[in-house]
Amino acid sequence: MHDRYAPKTFNSDEGARLKVILILLACALALSAVQARAQGNYEIQVYGADTVEPRSTMVELHSNFTADGQRNYIDGAAPTYHAEHETVEITQGINDWAEVGFYIFTSEQSGLGVQWVGDHIRPRVRVPEKWRWPVGVSLSTEIGYQRAKFSPDTWTWEIRPIIDKTAGRWYFAVNPALERTWHGPDVNLGIGFSPAAKISYDFTKQITGGFEYYADYGSITNIASLHNQQQQLFPAIDLNVSPKWEINFGVGIGPTAATDHWIVKGIIGRHFNWGHNPR
Amino acid sequence: MSESGVTLRHHSTLSAGQGSRRRFLRDAGFAAAALVANSASPRIWPQAPSASPPTPNPASPTPDYTIEIAEIEWELAPKKHIRTTAYGGQIPGRVLHLAEGKPVTMEILNKLDRPEIVHWHGQWIPTDVDGSMEEGSPMIPAGGSTLIQFTPRPAGLHWYHTHAMANRDLKRGLYSGQFGVLDVLPRVNPAPWDQEQFIVLHDWNPYYSASGDGSLMVNYVYSSVNGRMLGHDQPIQVSQGRRVLIQIVNASATEVHWLALPGHRFKVLALDGAPVATQASVETLRLGPAERITALVEMNSPGVWVLGEIRKDFRDAGMGTVVEYEGRSGKPQEPDQSKLEWDYRTFGDPSPIVRQPDVTVPLVFTSRFRGHGALDQWMINGRSYPDVEPVLLREGLRHRLVFENHSTDDHPVHLHRHNFELVSIRGVASSGVHKDVVMVEAGTTVEADLVAANPGNTLFHCHQQDHMDAGFMTLFKYA
Repeated sequence: MHDRYAPKTFNSDEGARLKVILILLACALALSAVQARAQGNYEIQVYGADTVEPRSTMVELHSNFTADGQRNYIDGAAPTYHAEHETVEITQGINDWAEVGFYIFTSEQSGLGVQWVGDHIRPRVRVPEKWRWPVGVSLSTEIGYQRAKFSPDTWTWEIRPIIDKTAGRWYFAVNPALERTWHGPDVNLGIGFSPAAKISYDFTKQITGGFEYYADYGSITNIASLHNQQQQLFPAIDLNVSPKWEINFGVGIGPTAATDHWIVKGIIGRHFNWGHNPR
Repeated sequence: MSESGVTLRHHSTLSAGQGSRRRFLRDAGFAAAALVANSASPRIWPQAPSASPPTPNPASPTPDYTIEIAEIEWELAPKKHIRTTAYGGQIPGRVLHLAEGKPVTMEILNKLDRPEIVHWHGQWIPTDVDGSMEEGSPMIPAGGSTLIQFTPRPAGLHWYHTHAMANRDLKRGLYSGQFGVLDVLPRVNPAPWDQEQFIVLHDWNPYYSASGDGSLMVNYVYSSVNGRMLGHDQPIQVSQGRRVLIQIVNASATEVHWLALPGHRFKVLALDGAPVATQASVETLRLGPAERITALVEMNSPGVWVLGEIRKDFRDAGMGTVVEYEGRSGKPQEPDQSKLEWDYRTFGDPSPIVRQPDVTVPLVFTSRFRGHGALDQWMINGRSYPDVEPVLLREGLRHRLVFENHSTDDHPVHLHRHNFELVSIRGVASSGVHKDVVMVEAGTTVEADLVAANPGNTLFHCHQQDHMDAGFMTLFKYA
């Protein structure tokens, strides 16, 4: 999520700094004991380092349609071909360096109708802007369940470091995510590597265009062959029409055999402030 | 009636050429040093004045005041120290009590390794001492000093502060601690009072942040009243029944501040040092950057209170001070107002007096987007300073300045060496409110009448440091 929302708080002290560092360390240590797996095409987004500001909520709807994808059942999981995935994401800002997100995944496709797929919860912390680091740094961790009908790996965990930088009209973000399956056929695969990245350019104040890249290289100790890797490239645009709204649209191309070949994605988000004083 | 035949209501008359124009230089090599210093400056346009420095006067008088500009370590609160630049080793600089019409000599010592300049905000003084290099005041070279003389006018609450650019260096300009109160006597309000309190607001440790509309903006970690964070300064001690004259200066580089004192009301006597036509009582005060308010508070609600920002975020950052009644103790009660309402017309003539201008001067404020990771470029009438066409003024004429804010930001616009009378706000007529800074809210128009009576280059700019650094300035010149 490239969230350009501006926190306006001053809860700065050494205690807060220590808390952020401790949480970052805790997440890193926890990862060494668990592992994860890539989720399906439910939320296709490169995260920015910004968090939702305190006393406000972000509600997003992710709509992804697989125009050309997996046509057969694999390990009991439904095909993605012509599947429409709708995901509701609700993110609550905690303070100027933390937020918690919650996801509701759904799928609609021929023969199955509208189905609940699963839920995830995603706490995230960031290095506060007031520390004045040269790049934005954030760490997200996501735990969730998805029904076996849609993903053989039912319980998964992800840790996603986020680094971004805005320089003039250019924006860069990289998310070298690590995933682990807690329950499912991939539980013994170890830690999977699923990086994502984004580069974009502000054509105007309202229109930003660029490319988003998503991949799943398989286990970090046993990188899959290119044929079996997931690789997707999305030309995408962001529309900055209002501070309250977030709009993203893209068309993804998956060139490898293990990737859905054509996906159309859209995100529409709305900020809600609770008791914020205007500047 | 002034010498130029123009009457200005409510305040002293001003005539061209009044006061001393002498300026004394101590450094024999000043001009050369200034040029060298200018070449090393990070400014985006030359700092060198267009005029030559005045001829040194060998009979330099003894200074009435000395202001030393130097780096200091300052404690905002225990364990909250900042390193900044200040006047005389303190924040704010000492209050300078000057007598209107009596020449004063100021010695300014610049202990920094860069040129500096001190602006006498709100004073109708000549260009060579006003403290604006754009008008022609010389910079004080690194390690150098200067001696200036001017005749203070008008009376009222004013202030002195750096007029140096900061650009992207958030430790310079008004992001630093270079400011102090200029109290020009006699006070222009006739209201009786028992106790006087100066309140100077500032914000500290700035950093860039994405704004809601996608452009970069400046946020702060700490805020202070008189250089201390809330709860870490001596309370203001008051007694029941006393009338306290509160003189407030917003010295923040970019922030608007809203103040309240729970259980009390502010009877506003003057804005930017000029008496108002209607001394209305209000619960909250709004001060844009560089604005000043003189208000009387009757102490008739015993207790312990916080005089501070009505927005909790700013109070948490330190913007407030404790007001303690004699014999009272306990936890201070904080402001809880939720309404942010302010209208200059509250303090104007109940039935605005309509006057016809001699000249109309449109000033349209716009910005140019330069990326979500860059500061916007600011323009007046489509031009950014220094690439501007000066506005021509004719002495003695009433110029109607039409401030059209086409941007999505509010702008505290300031005119040097003059003030103006607000004649319409959002299309509604006004009179009786004289200002040298006015907040022009986003998407609105404010009209103000300027009677041109102080010849010389006159700078007009947004007082938000990041805006003026990005071109939001123009020069007024007399024809």
